[in-house]
Amino acid sequence: MSLLSKLQETLVCLKAGRVTLPYPAQAGPVPETFRGRPIFDAARCIGCAGCASNCPAREILVVDVCQEIRILQYLGRRCTYCGRCADVCPEKAITMSREFETATDRIGDIRQRLELFMSTCQRCGRCFTEPSPLEQLKLKGYRFDDVQNERWIFRSQAYLTSEAAVDDISIDLD
Amino acid sequence: MTARERLNQLKEKFGPAIQRADLPGDSRLFAYVEPATLKAVCQYLFRELDARYVISIGLDDRPFSGKFLVAHNFAFDRDRLLCSMLAHLPADHPEVDSIAPAVPGANWAEREFRELVGIELRGHPYPKRLVLPDGWPDGVHPLRKDVPWNQVPADFDENAEFTFDDPPAGCTVVPFGPFHPTLDEPEHFRLYVEGEMVRGCEYRGFMVHRGIEKLAESVLTYNDIPLMAERICGICGCVHNVTYAQAVETAVALRPPPRAEYIRTIMLEIERLHSHLLWVGLACHIVGFDTLFMQSWRIREPIMWIAEKISGNRKTYALCVIGGVRWDITPEVKVELRHLLDKLEREWREVVAAVSRDKNIQKRTRGVGVADQALIKSLGLIGPVARAAGVDIDCRRDHPYAAYDRVDFAVITDTGGDVWSRVVVRMNEVFESIRIIRQCLEKMPEGPLQASIPDELPPGRLGLSSVEAPRGESHHFVITGENNRPHRWRVRAPTYQNLQAVPMMIKDQQLADMTISLGSIDPCFSCTDRLETIDLKSGATRVWSQAELIRLVRKT
Ligand code: SF4
Ligand code: SF4
Repeated sequence: MSLLSKLQETLVCLKAGRVTLPYPAQAGPVPETFRGRPIFDAARCIGCAGCASNCPAREILVVDVCQEIRILQYLGRRCTYCGRCADVCPEKAITMSREFETATDRIGDIRQRLELFMSTCQRCGRCFTEPSPLEQLKLKGYRFDDVQNERWIFRSQAYLTSEAAVDDISIDLD
Repeated sequence: MTARERLNQLKEKFGPAIQRADLPGDSRLFAYVEPATLKAVCQYLFRELDARYVISIGLDDRPFSGKFLVAHNFAFDRDRLLCSMLAHLPADHPEVDSIAPAVPGANWAEREFRELVGIELRGHPYPKRLVLPDGWPDGVHPLRKDVPWNQVPADFDENAEFTFDDPPAGCTVVPFGPFHPTLDEPEHFRLYVEGEMVRGCEYRGFMVHRGIEKLAESVLTYNDIPLMAERICGICGCVHNVTYAQAVETAVALRPPPRAEYIRTIMLEIERLHSHLLWVGLACHIVGFDTLFMQSWRIREPIMWIAEKISGNRKTYALCVIGGVRWDITPEVKVELRHLLDKLEREWREVVAAVSRDKNIQKRTRGVGVADQALIKSLGLIGPVARAAGVDIDCRRDHPYAAYDRVDFAVITDTGGDVWSRVVVRMNEVFESIRIIRQCLEKMPEGPLQASIPDELPPGRLGLSSVEAPRGESHHFVITGENNRPHRWRVRAPTYQNLQAVPMMIKDQQLADMTISLGSIDPCFSCTDRLETIDLKSGATRVWSQAELIRLVRKT
C-alpha cells in the first residue's frame, strides 16, 4: 500500500515538471491591479491633505511653509502600499504603481516631495462648488484624524526649520 | 435557545445580580452582572449550560462610566449565540474574582488584562507576568486611558531578566526557541525532559507584542484599523480585517451590501485555501517529507496570483473598510478563478489520494499531540484542532457572517484528535472551500460595494464578531468610541487559545514529536502577540540604493 502511495507521489512530481521562476534574476510581470509604491502627481494635487489624514501608516506629511506654499512629503518608510491614499484623493493625483522592488538603504530613492502653490479664491474664499472634495469624501464614509491632535497635519507654521518635526522624522530643506 | 431565553435562564438563577442586559438581535447578548456574582455566572454558563469559553477583556472605561469594565465572552455554538458577561469595577481599586479556576481557558486572558489594564485578580491560579516586557515596572498599565500610546516608563529596566519556574525533580531543561528552524516566529518553550520523554514545559511568548490595540484606540481611526488589523497575521490577515469590520458593523447595526458580503466570503475562502495548502506543506516539511512540501506549495501558488489580481497584493488584500469592501470581482477574474479552482481540485485530489495511504507520514503523526474532548472543552480550543477530535464547531455555520448563510458546505470532522486527524481535516476542508467559492461566484448579485455612512458612528456601542480563520475562530470585541475611533478593540486570535493546550498535548510524548505537535495547531505567534510593524534599523555600513540593489539581483 505504502509503495503504491510513493509511486503516486512520484507521479505527482513528474507531472508537475519544473515550475520555478527565474526570480530575482528576471522580474515577472505583475497584474494591472497591482498595488505598488504610490506615485504622487504634483500637477494634479490640490493640497487638501485628504491622503495624509487617511494614511494608516501616517506616511504623508503636509506642512505649510508660508501662506502660499504647502509641502507634501511622502516619507516611504513604513508605507504598506495599502492604496488608501489613492482611494481618497479627490483629484486622482496618486497612482499605485507597479513598482515593488523598493528595498534600498537610501530613503531618498523612495521619498517624494511636492511643493504646492496654494492660492485663496478671491471671489468666494473657498475654491470648490459644494460639496467640496473633502465633503464628498466624508459622504463616502471617510473620516479625518482628530484635528486637535495636529500631529500629522501641520497647519500654517510660519517657517519650517530643519529640526525634527515629528520625533523620528526630520524634514530636509533643499 | 434565543438570546432572550438565555437571559431569562440567567435571571431565574441569579435574580437581581443580573443588573441590565442589551439584546441587539437574536444572536448577541450583553449582560451586566454584579461583580461579586460574575464568577458564579461564568461558572454556571461554562459548566452547566455548556457554553464555549471565548475570551476575557478588561478595559478602562473611566472616561465614560467612571469605572473599569471586565467582560467574559462565551459562545453557544448550537444556538448561534455569542454572549458577553460584563461587570463594572470601581475606579479606585479595580479587583475581580478570577474565573480561571472554573474556566481554565481564561488563564492567559485574565493575566493579560491584569497587566495591561491593571484590574487585580482574586484567586488566579498562576498570576505570572505574561505580556509586558521583563523590564516594565509594576503599576504602569499601558492600556489605561491616562497612559499615552508612546510612553516609555522612566524606570524601565533594560537589563531585567525573566525568571523561569523550577523544573520538576529529575527533569532536564531543553530550551526550544526563541528562534527555531521549524517556526518562523519567536517564541520560547522550556521543555522539561526525562530521558526522551517530555514531562512538561513553560511557555514564554509575546516577544513581538507591539500594542496594536493601544494604537487603535489612541492614534488610528475606524477605517485605518482594518489595514493595520490585517498585518496582525501574515497568513490569515484578511480574517482579522473582516472580523474587525464586522465587529464595528454589528456594533452600529450597519449592513454591508450583499455583493460585498459575497466578496468577503470569496476572499476568506481564498485565504483558507492558501493557508491550508501552506500548512500541509509545512507539516510535511517538519516531519522531513519535503516532496509533498514542494508539491503543495506548487499547487498553492496560482491562488496567490489570483489574490494578487483581485486585490493588488498576494497576501495583504486590504479588503475591508467599514461597511463594505474595496475590490470588485470582475467577470474576467470570475472566469479565471473558476478555471483555477477546477485545476486545483484535480491536483489536490491526486495529492490527497497519495498521502492518505502513505504509511511514513502516518507513523509520525498518528497518536501524536493528542487533544481530547475534555481538554478542548476546558481550554476552549477551536478550529481544526477541535474538529479533529470530533468537536463539531465551525463559526461559518454556527455564527454565520458575510454570505455563509447562503452557501452550502460540510463541516469536516474526524475522531482521532491527533496530528494525523488534523492533517485529514485540513486536507478535506480544501474541497469545501472550493465548493463555497464556486457557489459564491454563481450567486453573487450585482450592486454597490460599500454602504454609505452619512453620519458619525455612535459611541458606546458594543460589537462582537467571530470569523472562522483557517486555524480556528478569530474573535474581535469592539466598543465604539469618540473621535472616530474605537474605545476598546480586543483581538482574540485562534492561536491564543490553542497555544495554551500545547503543554498538555506534548506531555509524556517523545521529544522528537514536539515540533509536529506544535506545528499541528498551525500556530501563529504574531496573531497571539498582536504584532504591528517592526521597524528594523539597518546596521549595514554600505549604503545600497534601490537601483543598485535591483542591478545586483538581476546579475546572472
Ligand atoms: S499606500 Fe497606504 S500606507 Fe502608503 S502612503 Fe498611501 S495610504 Fe499611506
Ligand atoms: S489627497 Fe490628493 S489632492 Fe489631496 S493632498 Fe493628497 S494627493 Fe493632494
